[in-house]
Amino acid sequence: MSGNLVINNIFSDFQKSLDEEQEIREVIRNICKDVDSIYRSVTTILQVIHYNEDGIAPACLQAREMFEKARAGYAKLKDAVPPTDYYKYQDHWRFMTQRFCYLISLTIWLEKGIMASHETVAEILGISATEEKEGFHLDIEDYLVGLLNLCSELSRLAVNSVTRGDYNRPLQISKFVMELNAGFRLLNLKNDHLRKRFDALKYDVKKIEEVVYDLSIRGLLPKTEPEEVVAES
Amino acid sequence: MIPGHEIKKKHIWHLVIGKYRRHRNQQTLSSVARETAISLPDDSPILAIFKSAAVKLNDRQDRHERLVKLSRDITIESKRIIFLLHSAITKETCEKAVSEAITRLQKLAKGPIKSIGLELENIPSYLHWRAVTPGFQEYVEARTLCSLMQTQNIITFQEMQDELTYKIENEENEKERSVITMLTQNDYMLGIADLTGELMRRAINSIASGDSEECFNCCQNVRDLYTGYLGVTGCSRDLMRKLTTTRRNVEKVEAAVYALRVRGGEAPPALLAAAPPSWDAASAHSDDEGFF
Repeated sequence: MSGNLVINNIFSDFQKSLDEEQEIREVIRNICKDVDSIYRSVTTILQVIHYNEDGIAPACLQAREMFEKARAGYAKLKDAVPPTDYYKYQDHWRFMTQRFCYLISLTIWLEKGIMASHETVAEILGISATEEKEGFHLDIEDYLVGLLNLCSELSRLAVNSVTRGDYNRPLQISKFVMELNAGFRLLNLKNDHLRKRFDALKYDVKKIEEVVYDLSIRGLLPKTEPEEVVAES
Repeated sequence: MIPGHEIKKKHIWHLVIGKYRRHRNQQTLSSVARETAISLPDDSPILAIFKSAAVKLNDRQDRHERLVKLSRDITIESKRIIFLLHSAITKETCEKAVSEAITRLQKLAKGPIKSIGLELENIPSYLHWRAVTPGFQEYVEARTLCSLMQTQNIITFQEMQDELTYKIENEENEKERSVITMLTQNDYMLGIADLTGELMRRAINSIASGDSEECFNCCQNVRDLYTGYLGVTGCSRDLMRKLTTTRRNVEKVEAAVYALRVRGGEAPPALLAAAPPSWDAASAHSDDEGFF
């Protein structure tokens, strides 16, 4: 320590605030570790959709139960994070939240075939969807990254459902992902992580369209909705 | 026109038609994609979700751009204020410079810095931290240098934060509300780390002007600050990066003071300032004041 009192005070104040920050980070890290393991097990549970049609509904139910646990975890997180400092500590839960957005939207898509809205996902996690001066919420960018992850998983599902002999599913996926693709084109993305992730969407779209194409040239498409896909040129 | 071009063109055309005919009743990859895209209804709920997301993202980006602009304005003016403070040599001009610097700093606080506060009034803090931090750091540097020259003491974080609290009168119901431009402690400490560079410069300038007492003062301040930084644990990565520069500043200023002490009686002051000891030459370059 130096002889200058003012300077000493400046540094001791700074050290104090750093220490407080470290304590908060420690608490957040511990909570995140627990919640982290939940999304990992949900991911594992939902893998069944790629090889067992009948397993889908029970898997969704199981996933729903896990989301309840995640909800409790987010409630703890909400308490631990000072309401004004959401973006200061965001890095701790950012990736995890993106995975949850993906898993929740996948579950809802499997159950009802619709896209989960920002509000719905936030509601399942028990947090707010609106960004306010204070409080814990679901960041819009994390939600969008979750949707992009969903598209990658669906492109894999399209391939695997054909292997399973389900020729209807790829059409459903194709329609859904094309709609999402059209939606993402409405966003003005600057050169950030969301943009980079979006740029990879075209590969998922391509993969799905190839599956649909393969089915269509071999006449394997179901006859129930010919007007949608079998377009005469 | 190249002779035979017409034939060639026709030939290609036939090929294209042939290809087209072959696939006439079948789909191509792109046709499937196109059909799916066209078949989307305009009012689909999915597109509605994306439209609202687009609004949110655009707002955020526009705000970010506005803040970056304000931050740049603050940086430029702060640099000029620092330059003004360095330009003073004698005691009288020094006082004049300080008082001018104070008015200009106040103008900054009432102008762009207040605008940042208003812009972020209902926005979560730290969301746009990256946009504003360069401006704040430079402002802290200017403000602390000014306070050091005025009162011999560095203005504290809390005092600075209080300076950036504004009362806004609401025209409709005549109620006052207060708006704070939040300064983070990290930005303050980053600014102080830059301050060591300015103090080093000031120490060397004061040798040139023959004010050796001022030189020793600055030197001790730089040392004290550096000592303080050494004692801090768990600081951010940005700050760690700045500390190498701070250490160089300490070495430079100590070398200058050494020269003053050893050769003070022999050489004219201007020469002392111009010729630091030879071992200092290796670390003479500074990446302080880089790119903002």
